[in-house]
Amino acid sequence: MPAAEVNTKEQSSKKLQQSNPDYDPNIVVEAQNLSKIYHDFWGRQKVRALKALDLEVRKGEVFGLLGPNGSGKSTTIKLLLGLLFPTSGRALVFGKDASEVTKNEKIGYLPEESYLYRFLTAEETLDFYGRLFDMPAKVRKERAAELIEKVGLTWAKRRQLREYSKGMVRRIGLAQALINDPELILLDEPTSGLDPLGTREMKDMIIELKEQGKTVVMCSHLLADVQDVCDRIAILYQGELKELGRVDSLLKVSDETQVRFDNVPESAHAEIRAVIEKHGGNIISMENPKTTLEELFLSIVRESSERPGHRSDRAAN
Amino acid sequence: MSDSQFYENQFLKLSEWFPGAVGVFGPLMLALILMGVVFGYLVAAFRHGAGEGFYIVAQTVGGFFPDWLRMSPRRVWAIARLAIKEAFRRRVVMVTFGLFALAILFGGWFMNSNSDHPDRIYVNFVAFGTQMLVLFMGILVASFSLPDDIKNKTIYTVVTKPVRASEIVVGRIVGFTAIGTALLTLMGIVSFVFVWGGLTHTHQIVGENQSIASFEDIDPTTRLNQLGRRVSNGAIKTFQTTMDDGHRHTGELIEDIRDADSPPMDASNVVSKEVLPNGQIKYRRVIVDLAAGHTHGVKVSGDGDNATITLGPARGFFRARVPYYSDSLAFFEYTGARKEGGVDVGRELNRQGFFDGGTPWLPNTLSRAEFDFSGIVESRFEDPNLVVLEMNLGVFRTTKANIQKRVLGSWQIESVPENPEEGRVVSERFTFESQEYQTQLMPIKRKIVGQKTDESGNFEPSAEFDLFDDYAKNGKLKLVLRCEDPNQYLGAARADVYFRSADQPYAWNFFKSYLGIWAQMLVIISLGVAFSTFLNAPVTIVMTAVTMLVGFNTEFIREMLSPDHVGGGPLESFYRIVTQNSMVLELDPGIGSTLLEKSDQLLVQMLASLTYIAPNFSIFNFSESLIYGYDISLDRLGVAFITAFAFFIGFSILGYFSLKTREIAK
Repeated sequence: MPAAEVNTKEQSSKKLQQSNPDYDPNIVVEAQNLSKIYHDFWGRQKVRALKALDLEVRKGEVFGLLGPNGSGKSTTIKLLLGLLFPTSGRALVFGKDASEVTKNEKIGYLPEESYLYRFLTAEETLDFYGRLFDMPAKVRKERAAELIEKVGLTWAKRRQLREYSKGMVRRIGLAQALINDPELILLDEPTSGLDPLGTREMKDMIIELKEQGKTVVMCSHLLADVQDVCDRIAILYQGELKELGRVDSLLKVSDETQVRFDNVPESAHAEIRAVIEKHGGNIISMENPKTTLEELFLSIVRESSERPGHRSDRAAN
Repeated sequence: MSDSQFYENQFLKLSEWFPGAVGVFGPLMLALILMGVVFGYLVAAFRHGAGEGFYIVAQTVGGFFPDWLRMSPRRVWAIARLAIKEAFRRRVVMVTFGLFALAILFGGWFMNSNSDHPDRIYVNFVAFGTQMLVLFMGILVASFSLPDDIKNKTIYTVVTKPVRASEIVVGRIVGFTAIGTALLTLMGIVSFVFVWGGLTHTHQIVGENQSIASFEDIDPTTRLNQLGRRVSNGAIKTFQTTMDDGHRHTGELIEDIRDADSPPMDASNVVSKEVLPNGQIKYRRVIVDLAAGHTHGVKVSGDGDNATITLGPARGFFRARVPYYSDSLAFFEYTGARKEGGVDVGRELNRQGFFDGGTPWLPNTLSRAEFDFSGIVESRFEDPNLVVLEMNLGVFRTTKANIQKRVLGSWQIESVPENPEEGRVVSERFTFESQEYQTQLMPIKRKIVGQKTDESGNFEPSAEFDLFDDYAKNGKLKLVLRCEDPNQYLGAARADVYFRSADQPYAWNFFKSYLGIWAQMLVIISLGVAFSTFLNAPVTIVMTAVTMLVGFNTEFIREMLSPDHVGGGPLESFYRIVTQNSMVLELDPGIGSTLLEKSDQLLVQMLASLTYIAPNFSIFNFSESLIYGYDISLDRLGVAFITAFAFFIGFSILGYFSLKTREIAK
């Protein structure tokens, strides 16, 4: 990162500390007793979408909001973005109120469906969003080219989005979320509508962002996606926070031990069983592990792209 | 726009209007903002409680100035560009221009070139057509844009960028106005070519050759021309032209005897001149009679019977007259007492005040209309030696009198000295025949015979005085009009009598009238965008269209409140149409009629209240000036632009608060 940019970020951080004495630069997102009730036209309570949510997202982590449909994940994201107003409580982003426009300078947002202008081309789309960040023409152009290449749409950059497949629109949606090189990226169901390859690429992208020191908040109901990329998760159910913590500690089964090894003959299995029983252990299963369907699919696709025209050896078996 | 409103608007002076307008705009904006804050607080307090409500309102109001001061032109332009692309995508622009092109292509078939004023028909057609199409296009694009963005959720990716509500509102208005400007420019050019091409024509003189030899003698017993109309005094031959553009002209060769020092104004049509023994000069001139609201210039080459005549382009179309109006008009009745508004000779003519010619028993009437002019200086006139006074006088006859004879009037000018002790200079009375339903031109020579008063107020002997050096020495001049026919009346309003300067180029006037449409478009787009921040698209269209219609009919709606208004309000009028009930008869008393009247009162009151909020579109409407051939003054243009920008600012602020305080997501 250029020195000048670092200085600017430090200055803006200092400014924030001056204007908000409680601001901790390590806490990027903060929900304080955040509640949202939807009302009907007559002001009567319709749905209580979020109930007194308290959480913090720290700088540099990938945070997942997990829950079934209607649990309040998207509502939380919309409250953090200022698209909805809280019924009570506060949503703070970079120490600023969520309704503050200037906070958006450091935010990238990918909505649940890529709500983009279908009459624009990929280039025009990124140019438009770049302008909204007040980026000079040269920077906009470079950044747009870089992102289009990164999401693999160089070949279709001059086509209107109306001609794009759902996956392609999702990719350009991600590109628009990254146009300003944001510090915080909010992803609403990021893998929705993507094929396994796209899903994998999206997850790789999230991990890459984390490696770059970005903070990512994502919400999803696809548990595997969350498990693969998130450092910490919050589980919501009917608008209430049910669980909050690190993924690895939440998923750890303390009273079981898993050992994986290779090149051990079948004959050694009996000895291993004997050792475990000797120590009072109970063998739950001992078998050859299976790969995931995702892994299988990805390896077939990889092989096919390396050897076009050949049928996969695995498929023959 | 009514006639009286049109004439009232002619006098608008930016310097006089502006302080008053600021006096209205400032407090009105302040009142609206206060009302908005109170309303906003009530809603916020209802939803979040009194304390939190106060915090929310304070935060919204506090953010107002930073949000407007930190607006980024790049972001505004980005939103504007998007709006332009969107309008193209919707094909609204193409459809609008297509409709206009169709109207132009086939409209020419229905134009009556033989009417009294074909120019007015042509200009009215293009100006009204353009105005309506552009305004409805403005309503459509402005009403659909934001509601569609919210419905399709594309707005999510915009408002989550550092974009301010002010930028979204202003950007959209700028974008739609830009596209409307391009469309208006295109339509303006096509319209101008259509009008110019449609009216430009010339004729040939019917006969074997284009010379005096082909003219016909006048039958001394009937003195009628080829079309059966009476010829002028002094006419010795007549001719007629070919039929072109749906009409033909007749013309005359007249003998015009003049003093040596007053040659005819137009020397190009002189065929021969002969000095008479008394020193006067007899000119023979070719004059083309008026037909279809215009005449033609004549070019004569050679002289005598062999002189060749060529008709030039039409004269009377494509004018942009620059009138110098009086500062005030006062009427005085025969007793010499001032009479406010002159004599009212009937409701239908209440625009003009009338002054009478006295009675045969009191012939030396003092009844008169006095016009006070200021700023009469040489430099304001094209030819200071021959100043043109133009009049559109009304005539009201109490007796038929001699139907062949026009009602006589007279004009007189006098100086208006700053110091009453200074002597006044009063000209002679000059009699003229009034030309009803026509604009009357009165050339006034620089040297005018009159009398000066001495210190004691007595008149000195008559002498010639200079119009600028003596009569209008301090720039002020009084023009007095009288009716010289007993028992008859002449009528005039302030806008009816004026001095004329050199005409402005017609194309420039045409352009200015389109600037008026542009200003209307800006207001309508601002209104549509502001409404669309809190209403859905169909409701926005209806609300904007209703506000526009109210704005166009401000005066009519206010008139309905007047006790003199006959026929009742909209419901009663409708009832009368359906039941074929006369407008002037009272409805039969009963519950039904009372219900009708009360409902009408409510409806008209509501509409009348709207007229004080909706822009009064007569301020922006210059098409009448263009149609009647008057220059659109820069004052009027200034007033229209300032008003349009005031509405643009006002509606932008309304849109800003509405967008800022609403939840974008559902």
